[in-house]
Order: sequence, then structure tokens, then C-alpha cells
Amino acid sequence: MNPRERVLIALKHEEPDRVPIDLGGTDSSGIHVIPYIELRKFLKLPHKPVRIINFIQQRADVHDDILNLFNVDVIDITRVSEPCGSRYALWRYILGDGTAFEGITNKWILWRREDDIGYEAEIPSYIQVVKSNNDYIAYIGNKILAKMPRNGYYFWGVIDKEKNILYNARTVDDIKKFDWDSYKVSDQFLNLLRERAEYLYKNTSYALAFVEGATLHEWAQGVRGWDKWLSDLRIRKSLAEAILDIRLEIVKYNVEKYVDVFGEFVHVIGFGDDFGTEEGPQIDVKTFREFYKHRYEELFSIVKKRSRAYIFFHSCGSIYPLIKEFIDIGVDIINPVQISAKGMDPEKLKKEFGDQITFWGGVDTQHVLPFAKPNEVIEHVKKLIEIFAPKGGFILAPVHNIQPPTPPENIVAMFKTAYEYGKYPIKR
Amino acid sequence: MSQEVLVKIKESLVNLDLDRTIDFVKKAIEYGVKPIDIINVLADGMKIVGDLYERGVYFVADLIIASEIFKEIMNILEPLIMREKEVLKPIGRVVIGTVEGDIHDIGKNLVTTMLRANGFEVIDLGVDVSPQKFVDAVKQYKPDIVGMSALLTSTMINMKKVIEALEKEGLRDKVKVIVGGAPLTEKFAKEIGADAYGENAVIAVEICRKLVEELRRSRY
Repeated sequence: MNPRERVLIALKHEEPDRVPIDLGGTDSSGIHVIPYIELRKFLKLPHKPVRIINFIQQRADVHDDILNLFNVDVIDITRVSEPCGSRYALWRYILGDGTAFEGITNKWILWRREDDIGYEAEIPSYIQVVKSNNDYIAYIGNKILAKMPRNGYYFWGVIDKEKNILYNARTVDDIKKFDWDSYKVSDQFLNLLRERAEYLYKNTSYALAFVEGATLHEWAQGVRGWDKWLSDLRIRKSLAEAILDIRLEIVKYNVEKYVDVFGEFVHVIGFGDDFGTEEGPQIDVKTFREFYKHRYEELFSIVKKRSRAYIFFHSCGSIYPLIKEFIDIGVDIINPVQISAKGMDPEKLKKEFGDQITFWGGVDTQHVLPFAKPNEVIEHVKKLIEIFAPKGGFILAPVHNIQPPTPPENIVAMFKTAYEYGKYPIKR
Repeated sequence: MSQEVLVKIKESLVNLDLDRTIDFVKKAIEYGVKPIDIINVLADGMKIVGDLYERGVYFVADLIIASEIFKEIMNILEPLIMREKEVLKPIGRVVIGTVEGDIHDIGKNLVTTMLRANGFEVIDLGVDVSPQKFVDAVKQYKPDIVGMSALLTSTMINMKKVIEALEKEGLRDKVKVIVGGAPLTEKFAKEIGADAYGENAVIAVEICRKLVEELRRSRY
């Protein structure tokens, strides 16, 4: 059984030969550049330049030697290491002024951090990192992209409060004045993605994922401010509706293009909006229905009507009350299954929703992977497999990108256990 | 009349209705209600909002909206307080910040607002705050409590450095330390030598109240 067959069987809620494994197949199931470099050293793998594929998250592109070693079954079509096809970095960023930037380049530059963290990695040539006092500031052209404290691990999107019309919008007219064109995906970007997807489809046996479908809530929080958007939804409703209406038109355009141009070559199309906190959803089900449910339904129906791809939905944190809503509108896969958050008990989730939705994720990157001992990691992974694996519908992955200070021993323990213990029928 | 309008202020805050809360506050001012009485009912309202959150009726969005309403009203009241020279004696002073390497401030800001709404004086050091900055602030402001926040697993360990710096300067016994943030646990807080872990903004306020009482008892 090859990786692609394995993933597709699991997505049909049947048992393949073993539980499918993901590392780096999506933007939030990969690994941060620091633990990645340490992992390669620990495994005594040959030195290869490490590429940062999502600059904000400092997410490393996982090389094929590690994909093989860890028996990974799914890859992201935006990857830039072998197997790859073309070398173009294809990533879209939201800039401080609220516009989108479409990164297309095959030129990479070496970025060497000269602080206590001090790693070096390749980044796309369109990003300039400037050191200022206590921060690193990343620019694209003359626009600010993100900021990271000295000795920090992640960049963080910056709202340019002077230049961002969306941030400052008070009326529906302000929203209309904003130049939305930058959010439309270009034909060049689409064609390069298609080329990549087609190459990977024909020349590898991996299941293929593209999870940059669209975001609504998270995007709005990004341009309006996380907390400001939450109050927009309550005390500035007409503004919030207007913002989401225009946003939906744009992302519908993009999703139609994605599906039509390369939908036949990808198995999983992903969307994502973090709705959870550690304690509960950010918003109640009523607000979800009022603002989001019908809009997602429109987006998902594009995928359902025009392709055979499975719909993947990423939503961090405690989102138990929303899972049923997602299922209603056609979500096939829920990610990342943050089991440490309140109400995300694995047994309850599997029992209540296991027949209707695939769980993708589960391995705790907040408490277990960084801090536990390898034998505790083994027990953690075994337990997840015991609960989630029966009758398929489970793809094992880290809950989020594996982050510092995760020791390489724990990463190895995770993937070794996933492979060895994940063989069907599951032993209990 | 003024009693009635105070009840309305509280109710509209609890119902998260910004416009009505502002209207009733303006009315109260017209009636000559003292700003301090308005602040007190707002605090009662915030407490109810906190309880509703704890009971799972309200969500984090609701806490944020309540905080926004509270801040709007304080903007209206503050000039009046200055004019009338009413002295609000805070129940305690808190120095708060997101630790070094971390620039996430939503949780910290929420705790700050909830503390202020509950009568604490809060000195907010902002984000990416080094141990030295915490130490300097403790020397300068002599707070009862030092509050630290972190969103990242990789930065929460910097909380320990702050506690060590306070110890080194001989300041550790003079303050209570409370920590909070998504990846934290009670166990972690204990391990690094904090006095308390605030699981959320509502709980953090209650704990700060208790910590201040403990301090007062130990000081006298």
C-alpha cells in the first residue's frame, strides 16, 4: 500500500495497513527551523540548506530524507525541497497595510541570525530582515510584514496603524475604498502551483494537500486586530458584515481558481480559522451561525461540486461546540485536534464525531513534545492511536508546528511509535 | 432616579450593549451621580460578566466586549474624576508584562482591564519585557504583585529568569508573583517559583485579591 492509498482509505473511514503520518504536510503540522536543524544533526543526516517555507512561523521545509525516515504519507504542494518539481517559493502574505503580497520567486537568500539563537536558513529573496534595537523587522518592498523580538522564535504580523485602511475603517464606505485587488490570486501563481501539483501527482505516491484555501475570521482578526474584530462581531455588526461580504467574494474567486486549475491533482484542500482558546471557543455557536456558517458553506460547495478533494478545516484550541457545525457544512477533516484544550477529550470526540469526520493531528506540541521524556511521548502517541485509529478516520500529526525547545529524541520517539504501533489491527 | 440609572448602567454592561451603557452613564452624570458610584456599578457588572464567563455562558469575545465598554466609559469618567479630585484608593498595585521574546498581548491586556475594572492600579510594561525591566519596575513602583504573561511554550521559560532576577536583587519577598498564558499550567507555575497561576483573566483577578490580602497580613 502506498502513502496516497493509505491516506485515502483512512479518509474513507476504513482501516488501511497503518495509521497515516504527517509532518509538514500542512502549514500547521510541520516543524520550526530550530528543532528541525537539531533533529537533522541528531540523526546525523547530511548537511543540506534548510529553507523556511512560512517566514512568519519560521517553519522549515521538511527534506525527503526525513519524510522517508519518519514514513510520512502526505506532502504540501507548496513545498520547495525534493520531491518538488519546480523550485519556486509560492506563498501569500498579508502586509501591515492590510494588502496581500503574492510571493513568487526561485531566488533564496541566506539569513543568518546574529543573536543568542543564531541559526542560518534560506528565506525567499523578496523578504528583507532588518535588525533594529531589540527587534527584527521583516519588510517586503517598503512595506512592513512582521516583527520578532531579539532572541524570539516566531515573527508576528504587524498592523501598520497609520497605513492600514481596514484597521481604521469605521463605515461600510471605508471598507469599499480599500483596494482589494491584491487579494486575488494571479494566473502566474496558479499555473506554478498547478505545475507543482501535477508533477507531484504523477511522480510521487504521496497524498497531496493544499491548505491555503481561505480564512475569514483569522484574516479579519489579522487586519482589524484580534480583540477589535471580536467586538466588531457584536457592537459593529454592519461593518463586520460588510467586511465579510467583500472578503467572501474575493476568496470565492480564489477557491474557484484553485479548484479549477489544480483541484484534480490534490487530495485535500484546506481552510482554516482558529476559533478556539485553551478554555473554549472565542465566539458562541450563535455568532458562528450568524457570521460564518453560510459563508463557509458557499466556499465548501465550490470544492465539493468541482472536485473530489476532501475538505480539511484547521481550527486551534477548544472548539468542541463548533465541530457539529463544521460537519453540517461538509468539512471532512478536522485539524489540529488540540486535545489539551478544554472539552477536547479524545474519547468523547471519537465517539461523538468519529464516523463523520477525520481527525488530523493530536500529538501535543505544547506540553508533551517539548517537555516530556521520550517514554512519555511513546505512551502519549500509543494512547492517541488506541483512541483515534479504530475504523480509520485518523491521520497522526503534531497539533501544531513542532517548536523549540522540543528535543530531537522526542520527535524520533513520536514518529517511531506512530509507525510501529499504528499498524492495523490496533493492539490494545 | 440616580439609583435606577445605576442599575441600568450595570445591566447594559452585562448585556454588552455599548450604546446603551454610554447613554445611561451620560444620564447619570446629568443627574449628578458621582463618578466613583458609576465605577462601582461598572465593577459589579464586570464581576457578573466574569461569572458568566466562568460558567461557560459567556465566551472570550464577551469578556473583550465588556472590557471595551468599560474602557470607553472610563474615558468619559476620567476627566470628571480629575476635576472632582475624588480619590480612588486602589486595592493593590500590579506591575504586568509579557515576558522577553514574546510579543503577544491579548491575554495580558485582558487581565489588565479586568484588574483595573476591579479596582487595582496596573502598571503595564508592555510586551517583550526583559527581566531587568521587571526588576527596575519593581524598584520604581513598589507593586504588591508582579504579573507575567506568555503565549509561547518557548518563551514561558523566561518567567523563571524574572523570578531569579527578583531574588538576586532581594526583591522576591516584597512582591507576589502571578503568571498566566495559554501553554502554562499550575505545575509549571510552581516549578518556577511563582506564587500563583491565573488560568484566565477572571480567576487572575480573584487570585490577585487574595495575594494582596496575604501580603497585607504578612506586612503587619
